[in-house]
Amino acid sequence: MAFSLWPASSLVFLLTFCGWLPQAISGAAIDFNREIRPILSDACFPCHGPDASARKAGLRLDLRAVAVQPAESGEVAIRPNQAAQSELVRRIFSEDRDEVMPPRKSHRSISLRQKELLRDWINQGAPYAEHWSFLPPKPAALPAVQRPDWPRNPLDFFTLARMEAEGMSPAPEAAKSTLIRRVTLDLTGLPATISEVRDFLADSSDQAYERVVDRLMATRDYAERRAQDWLDLARYADTRGFSDDTARSIWPYRDWVIRALQRNQPFDQFTIEQLAGDLLPQPTTDQLIATGFHRNAPQAKGQTYPSEEYRLKSVVDRVNTTATVWLGLTMGCAECHDHKFDPISQADFYGTFAIFNQIEHSGEGFAQGGPHLSIPSPEQAKQKAEAQAKLAALQASKALLQTQPGKDALAQSAEAISLEKELAALIKQINQVEKAGIHFPVMRERSIARDTFIHLRGNFLTRGAKVAPGIPGFLRAGDAEAPRNRLDYARWLVSGKNPLVARVVVNRFWQSYFGFGLVRTPGDFGLQGEWPTHPELLDWLASEFVRSGWDMKAVHRLIVSSATYRQSAVRRPEDALRDVQNRWLSSMPRVRLPAEQIRDQALAVSGLLKQTSNPKSFFPPQPSNYWEDRDLPGKWTISAGDELHRKSLFIYWRRMALHPTMELLDAPSRASCTPRRNSANIPTQALVTLNDPIFVEAAKAFAQRILDAGLADDRARMDWAFQTCLSRHPEPAERDQFLAFLERQAKPSPTDLPALWASVATILLNLDETLTRP
Amino acid sequence: MNDAQAFLGAQSRRNFLGRSLTGLGTLALASLLNPNLLASESLGGLSAFPQFTAKAKRVIFLFMAGGPSQVDLFDPKPKLNLLEGQPIPAELLKNHQQFALIRGTPSLRGSPYRFQPHGKSGIILSELLPHLAKVADELTVIRSMHTETNVHDPAVNFMNCGTLLGDRPTLGAWLSYGLGSENQDLPAYLVLTSGASDGQPLLQSFWGSGFLDSRHAGVPFRNSGAPVLHLANPSGVSPADRRRELDLIQWMNRRQGDALNDPEIASRIAAYEMAFRMQASVPALADLQDEPDAMLQMYGADRSRPSFARNCLLARRLVERGVRFVQLYDRGWDSHTDIDREHRRQCLAADQPAAALITDLKQRGLLEDTLVIWGGEFGRTPVAQVAGKTWGRDHHPHAFTIWMAGGGMKPGVTWGATDDFGYHPVENHVHVHDLHATVLHQMGIDHQRLTFRSQGRDFRLTDVRGKVIKELLA
Repeated sequence: MAFSLWPASSLVFLLTFCGWLPQAISGAAIDFNREIRPILSDACFPCHGPDASARKAGLRLDLRAVAVQPAESGEVAIRPNQAAQSELVRRIFSEDRDEVMPPRKSHRSISLRQKELLRDWINQGAPYAEHWSFLPPKPAALPAVQRPDWPRNPLDFFTLARMEAEGMSPAPEAAKSTLIRRVTLDLTGLPATISEVRDFLADSSDQAYERVVDRLMATRDYAERRAQDWLDLARYADTRGFSDDTARSIWPYRDWVIRALQRNQPFDQFTIEQLAGDLLPQPTTDQLIATGFHRNAPQAKGQTYPSEEYRLKSVVDRVNTTATVWLGLTMGCAECHDHKFDPISQADFYGTFAIFNQIEHSGEGFAQGGPHLSIPSPEQAKQKAEAQAKLAALQASKALLQTQPGKDALAQSAEAISLEKELAALIKQINQVEKAGIHFPVMRERSIARDTFIHLRGNFLTRGAKVAPGIPGFLRAGDAEAPRNRLDYARWLVSGKNPLVARVVVNRFWQSYFGFGLVRTPGDFGLQGEWPTHPELLDWLASEFVRSGWDMKAVHRLIVSSATYRQSAVRRPEDALRDVQNRWLSSMPRVRLPAEQIRDQALAVSGLLKQTSNPKSFFPPQPSNYWEDRDLPGKWTISAGDELHRKSLFIYWRRMALHPTMELLDAPSRASCTPRRNSANIPTQALVTLNDPIFVEAAKAFAQRILDAGLADDRARMDWAFQTCLSRHPEPAERDQFLAFLERQAKPSPTDLPALWASVATILLNLDETLTRP
Repeated sequence: MNDAQAFLGAQSRRNFLGRSLTGLGTLALASLLNPNLLASESLGGLSAFPQFTAKAKRVIFLFMAGGPSQVDLFDPKPKLNLLEGQPIPAELLKNHQQFALIRGTPSLRGSPYRFQPHGKSGIILSELLPHLAKVADELTVIRSMHTETNVHDPAVNFMNCGTLLGDRPTLGAWLSYGLGSENQDLPAYLVLTSGASDGQPLLQSFWGSGFLDSRHAGVPFRNSGAPVLHLANPSGVSPADRRRELDLIQWMNRRQGDALNDPEIASRIAAYEMAFRMQASVPALADLQDEPDAMLQMYGADRSRPSFARNCLLARRLVERGVRFVQLYDRGWDSHTDIDREHRRQCLAADQPAAALITDLKQRGLLEDTLVIWGGEFGRTPVAQVAGKTWGRDHHPHAFTIWMAGGGMKPGVTWGATDDFGYHPVENHVHVHDLHATVLHQMGIDHQRLTFRSQGRDFRLTDVRGKVIKELLA
């Protein structure tokens, strides 16, 4: 059906016209990384790449030294400068079904153009280059641009140069009302208030926008919004996962993330504390809480889960999550065999595994679990401190008693006995207080190291060779010693020498504003990952990040202050045709709000939102029997009072049955690390924002707020409602339509007014404009 | 995904309306608002699929959650009965996973039920399945199924996504992704639940879309309240009120679309229209008033009381309307203790409706292109878990039985065989990946070709394995 609207001829026309086909081959030097490696990686490496066990004919094409030597057959795949004599060229152009490469049964194919590229590249001497992301970022000079007046900060030079190279130009700056809505939603996850919009519109100084950015970045809302992205990576949830999916008190970790982000803890420390806070000298309670990061790995618990098998699944999850979050590598591919594309052997996987395999774990069946930290409540902490002070005093008097000469022995012993009794009671009291505290899951290293073995084909029962802790060879800078434990490993990640970490992190920062990263596969910077749209910009941002002392806020500020970010979101039709995915950023991409922000915005607009100091999770209304119908243990008891209307960041996150409002709006279950959320646009979501009691309540409250605002007439009310929801006035045609909508209803009596305006509120809360970051 | 794939994907799916809202968009929007304007081809899906003539257009998966006992229902073992009470032979414990709950050396336990051949095909069934016996000639029984784990939720995940952890798309999601929907008023993938609560939760991963867009996730039908979550308008809002609201929402959205040139807006307009149509189509579908009493009796269903029987009838109504994949979870098969009482109860509730579904589909000419699958996540041990009258059986991943019907499968066939104890398959092993490959094949899909690139790797339902069971295709 789709194609009935698009005749094949027009499609061909579009594809040719749009200019995204690579330029015609000329004598220009072919870039191995950008043009050749993706072909080899996709079509050849599965059988002629790093995976030794899958390798055919003794040929590997990922290493030049091997590729130019005779293979098992005696033929030479690549003869530099002699394409015609190269077996590779002969085989890819072969029309013999039995000879052609890649073989038909592999279901992989390469286009004629790709064949010609490979041929020409061989004729150019077949130069190889290290994969771009495995080399340190290149500190690039700012590129020359034709419109040097456009950039507002260095990053704009890179985007502008790219646009100009593509024959495009930037969109004009967005309207001020759009800008404040955009930057407020992005930085705080909440819409701008009417007065915030008014102040910004009234501020005609050059620094008006920067002032808004500074104001927003200083708020706790800013930290909470950034925490939301991090918690997707940390697979933070309030339950353990797997079938019983019971609760655990891990919310202090979420609280720690928010606090760390608010005080802008440098990313290197942020990393070290989360991966290895327990191994720091005399760790503080906060540093121990930070290690909750890896206790978020799903943890099976139940009678039928074999404990060792499922302990190992947690270790695998820690390895894979660490690799995704910091290295942008798909280490998990090497769990069962050598990586098919990246230079990560199975032994490399288990080398990292050995680092994360040393965490205490105990128990069978329902008692399975790891180490905990007892965190007292403030009240309990006070009790404990008092008891401890008393204890110290008693111990002192006991010591005194023992040294006092000349006292009657009987009296002394009576005194001693009562002292002992008091001491015992106090110790008991302290223990009780400790028990009553929160049992927070932390990381703790075993005193005796576990041996790690390769698990053949990933099966934990079939042990291969014993493996020492280590990292993939290609990531070892020079002859530096490989990390041996989690602390070394964490320090190695953020030493500033690792080519991947800073790039991977700033790429995700970029993604959270533009919808896509500069590398559109945020979890894969390996050979199969996408080539960066703006490689020099990525490198520049990464270098800046490290140079700034891993200052996260500084990078966020750079991004939202740029002219690139401040462009209008209106796409020129010709740009939409030639750059379908808006890779060259000739306008600001619109981004559908994340699940949390859709709910929070509705609560904020309607005046229902309550910010409390409670760090624990809360329970908003959920359809009745939602858990019971699925046989999940536990009971959802709706929170009371202000708790009910807290931000969605604090909704109780059950992995196996996420709150349906969040689930339907594409929030991840967080059963595993999620470097980028999917974002759909589907009917069941429309039903949420139209009919979910959470949104119905918000619409009613919004209506009441409109009616209570003391406005003269419907016209003024409509203006106020638009400003509150969309940070702008209605256009005349829009105002007319809405007023006509009001009039079409049978003459409302005053008692019908709330329902009538709830209808208006429902409309406003369901607009594409409302649900989308402009 | 490269640009071309992205472009083609966008063309064939959600954004087909939205390249230009002025011009094409208006036409497309008109056809959306009036579905009859559209050709009867499927909505969405990838243009490459089906790759060859599909034998089946839709699937009904009757999932017997908890694990029915193969040796009590489908796979008679006289020797097991003969040796009842003896300790399990040591050779069975080679290549054997640790039992889920049994500890020590358990004893063999025969089946207390009579088995008989049925129909022309002589398919053998236990006396607990008298209704299925009447449609025996429609069944394709596979006795040599095996899976990878004896723990419930990873095993259910495996049956749905081909992996133990439920982080990948389920079978229904893959089909929705590859083939799209044939109905514009209903989701492509629906999930219905019934049965006894036995402490085995239904997790959202069981109908999840993994790394695929969430439009491909299963939509759970609820047994109380509106069948789909938030389907009903808030009290006091009539369909006419809602239509008026939507008209203004859509008017605003079209303006926005024209101004911004963003194809996602057209897709949102379409989503809101489908939501509105679902508000009428779903209650009509779930309302069984138009089914004659005789039909309800055939299924053993009540018009309003939730049950597996009612779900089977709903499944027929769903596939009749072109829903691609319907999955029914019938719970209560996890008979660790008192298997006699529990399996009798389960069969009493599940036997008649499953047979009625086959009969009904056949009468309507739907069976030939609707694939029905009946089975659990694993089987049960031929050894007893508890001694005495309330004996039961533990989880058994090494061998179990499922059956299929319709959808171009060879009817009246029993495939595969297990050893004398029903413990391990001894011929024509069928792994879960093979089952998936076969189901996809019947839907016109080469399981090696339906892939999705996520984080640099092309994933598929069958991972790196899977073999179509050619011998079972009609």
